[in-house]
Amino acid sequence: MGKIISIHSFRGGTGKSNITANLAAQAALQGKRVAVVDTDIQSPGIHVLFGLDETKMGHTLNEFLRGECTIKEVAHPAGAEGREGVQQLTRHTIWLVPSSINGKEISRVVKTGYSVDVLNRGLNALQKELNLDYLFIDTHPGLNEETLLSVALSDTLVVILRPDQQDFQGTAVTVDIARQLDVPNLFLVVNKSLISPELKEYDQLVQKFRSDIEAKYGATVAGILPLTIDMANLGSADIFSLRYPDHVWSKELRKIAETVLAA
Amino acid sequence: MDGSIYDRLQKKLEVQKEAEGISAGDIAQLPPALRKIMRLMLREVELTHAAICATMSTLPMADQLNRAELDQALDTLTAQNWLIRRGEGERLNYTVNLRRKPPSQLGGSFWNALDAKITESKKANPT
Repeated sequence: MGKIISIHSFRGGTGKSNITANLAAQAALQGKRVAVVDTDIQSPGIHVLFGLDETKMGHTLNEFLRGECTIKEVAHPAGAEGREGVQQLTRHTIWLVPSSINGKEISRVVKTGYSVDVLNRGLNALQKELNLDYLFIDTHPGLNEETLLSVALSDTLVVILRPDQQDFQGTAVTVDIARQLDVPNLFLVVNKSLISPELKEYDQLVQKFRSDIEAKYGATVAGILPLTIDMANLGSADIFSLRYPDHVWSKELRKIAETVLAA
Repeated sequence: MDGSIYDRLQKKLEVQKEAEGISAGDIAQLPPALRKIMRLMLREVELTHAAICATMSTLPMADQLNRAELDQALDTLTAQNWLIRRGEGERLNYTVNLRRKPPSQLGGSFWNALDAKITESKKANPT
C-alpha cells in the first residue's frame, strides 16, 4: 500500500494547503500516483489552488460522508481546470478529493457530525482503488478529532509553522501528540521565514535557524521557505512551484519534497 | 412501514455503536502494544486474526507480542468496543470502530437560520 502524508499546522494561515498542493504536484511530476484529500471540511480551500470552483466540483467529500456517492466518484483528475502551472499536471496522475465550499453543505456537516469510520474506509479505498503511491491529507488546523485521526493514520506527518511565538508553542503540542501516536516520520517545515534569500550570509543564517528549531523540537526540519511577495501576488491562483520553477521558494520546496517523499 | 422502522432502529444501533468507538485521543493514551494494533487496524480497516498475527511477526523484535499477549490485547480492545470481532476459526476477523464526529452543540434553530440566510444570499447574488 502507498504512503499517507498528512500536512498539518497548529494555527491557520501558515500556508498549509499551499504547501500540500505543491508537494503533491512535485510527487506527481516524479511520475508517482498521487491524491490529495481536503479533510478541512469546515474551511476547505485547497481546490482553489487546483483551479476547481464550486460549479466544476461535482461530487464532494461531504456527499461521500453521507453515503451519496463512492470515494472514487469524488476524486477529480487535477490539472484541466487550472491555470498554466496546474495545467502541467494533466500529463501526470494526480487526483483531488475536495470538500464542499457550499455554505449549506458546510453547515450541514457541522450540524449533524459524520461517521469517522466512513472517512477512514474512504481513505483506505481511495489508496487501493487508485493504486496510489502517495495520499496527501490537507488537515484542519489545530487538534480536533479528525485531524488526530489523520495523524494516527499517517506514515509521515509534516508540521508547518511560521517563525512566530504562537506557532512555536502550538507546534510543540502537535509534535508531542504525533510522538504519542507513534507517527513513523515527522518533519517540520518553516514557512514565511523572514531571512531574505538576497542576504550574502543567507545559507549560514538559515542553517543556524534550522539547527535551533531542530534542537527545540527534536525533529528534522525538512526545509525553510522564505516569505515572498511573489507568492502573495499569486494569491493561491495557481501552484507556485509549477508556475515559477526557478524561484528560490520553488527550489527549496523541491528539496522538501525530496526529503518527505524519501521517508 | 416495517422496513422503515427496521431501518431507523438499525441506524440508531449504528450511531450507538459508533458513539462507543475509539477516538484518536484514546489511541494516543493506549499502552504501546495496544496502540500498535490500533494503528495497524486504522490503516487496514479490517483484518483477519491470521493477518494480524502475520503482521505482528514483521515488527521489530522489541515491538512484537507473543500469541497470548496479542490475543489478550485483542480481547481488551474488543471488550471496549474499539474493535468489532466477527466470525470464528479461520474466518475470525476484526474491524476498527471509530467514534462518530458528534453533531454541533448549537441548537437546530441556529442552523435553520443560517441555512435560510445562505439561501437568501444565494438568491440575491447567484454568481
